[in-house]
Amino acid sequence: MIQKFLLPVMTLLAMFFFSACGQKASNLDAPKGRNNVSDATQIAGETVAINENTYGNENNKSANQNVSSNESNSDTLNGSNVNSSSDGFKSLYFGFGGYGIAPSMENRMTLNAQVASKTSKKIKIEGNCDEFGTDEYNYALGLKRAKAVKDNMIAQGVSATKMVIVSYGESSPVCSSPTDGCYARNRRVDLHLVK
Amino acid sequence: MKALLLLLFALKIYAVDATLKIEKDVEQRSRIAIIDGSSTTNENFFKILLSDFKISGHFLADNTYQKGNLNDTFLPPALKNKEYILKYDLTQSNGASLTIRFLKASDGSEIFKKSYAIPTKNKVPFLAHKAVTDLNNVLKYPDISWMNRYVVFARYTTPKHSEILLADYTFHYQKVIIQGGLNLFPKWADAAQKSFYYSAYSGLVPTLYKINIYTGAKQKIATSEGMLVCSDVSKNGKKLLLTMAPHGQADIYEFNLHSGAKTQITRFNGIDVNGKYVDDESRIVFVSNRLGYANIFKKAIHAAAISQVVYHGRNNNACDAYANQIVYASRESKNSFGANTFNIYLTSSRGANTRPLTTTGSNQFPRFSLDGSVVLFIKHKGSSSSVGYINLASSQSLQFPISGRKIQSIDW
Repeated sequence: MIQKFLLPVMTLLAMFFFSACGQKASNLDAPKGRNNVSDATQIAGETVAINENTYGNENNKSANQNVSSNESNSDTLNGSNVNSSSDGFKSLYFGFGGYGIAPSMENRMTLNAQVASKTSKKIKIEGNCDEFGTDEYNYALGLKRAKAVKDNMIAQGVSATKMVIVSYGESSPVCSSPTDGCYARNRRVDLHLVK
Repeated sequence: MKALLLLLFALKIYAVDATLKIEKDVEQRSRIAIIDGSSTTNENFFKILLSDFKISGHFLADNTYQKGNLNDTFLPPALKNKEYILKYDLTQSNGASLTIRFLKASDGSEIFKKSYAIPTKNKVPFLAHKAVTDLNNVLKYPDISWMNRYVVFARYTTPKHSEILLADYTFHYQKVIIQGGLNLFPKWADAAQKSFYYSAYSGLVPTLYKINIYTGAKQKIATSEGMLVCSDVSKNGKKLLLTMAPHGQADIYEFNLHSGAKTQITRFNGIDVNGKYVDDESRIVFVSNRLGYANIFKKAIHAAAISQVVYHGRNNNACDAYANQIVYASRESKNSFGANTFNIYLTSSRGANTRPLTTTGSNQFPRFSLDGSVVLFIKHKGSSSSVGYINLASSQSLQFPISGRKIQSIDW
């Protein structure tokens, strides 16, 4: 019997409590901006739209070049024709999160140094990453890979002034399938001659 | 019945990003109903208003879409239990105009009335944000003008190509502002959002530009071999924190825009990136792999000592800072590949009072609002992505779906 009356009484008390504690405006006599035109300049001004396709951006021929779909890691990548570099250079592949040149990549490094020694043109060394990792860290990782290749080339007698390094982070994948083999192909350094 | 309730409770807990916080927040928010007095039904606009009220943390808005007459003095009896009624009339022809009437629910008396107009229809979401911030100001609640701001972000289109877009915070408004080429890491140059910095890859090496979004005027700021990112801008807009690699090694520099002088802040033969000013700009927090994995560290700008800020997580590879607060993304699963759980955490520059802000999915790109009251992040869960917001004071959270292309960087 007591319970029968308790529930509605408690409900009424709760309603009273909630309404009494409601947040009230401290002053409701605010200025009545009748029929004002918006004073928000940020919603009135129109912004520009720029197309930079005409500004002579990077040629993109390195993407999707000569890529086999059957490779799975840097060891097998070494012995294959997988390559997204150009001008006689061979791409170098890296382990997850790593920027050291694997022993399996040494033959490719030797070949790259030989190609570099025969040209008078500048060589662009591009560091790339897989899609795991975001923001600045991935670009720094790509840079470490490019720097490792540049330092190796210097050790093999290639002039430092002949090379320039740039990190493309995860912006230049050669493969987009969600497989380990695909991710491995994106963790790479490509080399090109600057035209 | 008990089992059903338990199941529903469990589903609710795991479906949202929320920390366990016991407080009487329901009664602290103003109960408001919204009535659409427009001649043409526009439920999208209603939903944007609802979102604005919710994430403000100051209002408890009724989800029911209701039609009515803007100038009618009659209020449905069912709304008498509200404190306030917002009536609006949105007209979209040759631009867009909005008239709002803010009424006291108890007697229907008018508290505030205002009209807004914009020349382009696609900016209608900004009308909703402006109206809600005005009502918030009328009631003298803490400032929520962050919702009037632009979000600027870069997203990838094809290999070595990207575009930079402007959006409102809900992403209902989006406009490509730079397309073509590879342009990355947009960062607002000033609090007024007239210009932003971005890194362009159009030349042999990355170049940092500043562009005025209203005139298109572009100014070359710096170049660097390897990489070049504007990570932070000082409050007065006169100094930048840059991640750059003039000698092939990514380190953090402070760049004086007036003199053009660069001061190298970090020196490490590994990875130092993502510098953010903290503690009145006397120190920076940044991401470094100096312990063998990505983590958050702190350093005074003019002293050598470096201290670790975060002591958990397998990979803490991004951070943002406001005053002495830090938000960072932390990987909490072991997968090298595939789906990983990344959560956003809030801590202080002393590493105290650390707490998670998200609980599910992969959450990245944490960014404080200009006033530090709200944190933006990008969530990937399954095959869908969304932009999320967490109001730090009220713990209210909201997510808006974003489509398709991968976001590279974001700022607001």
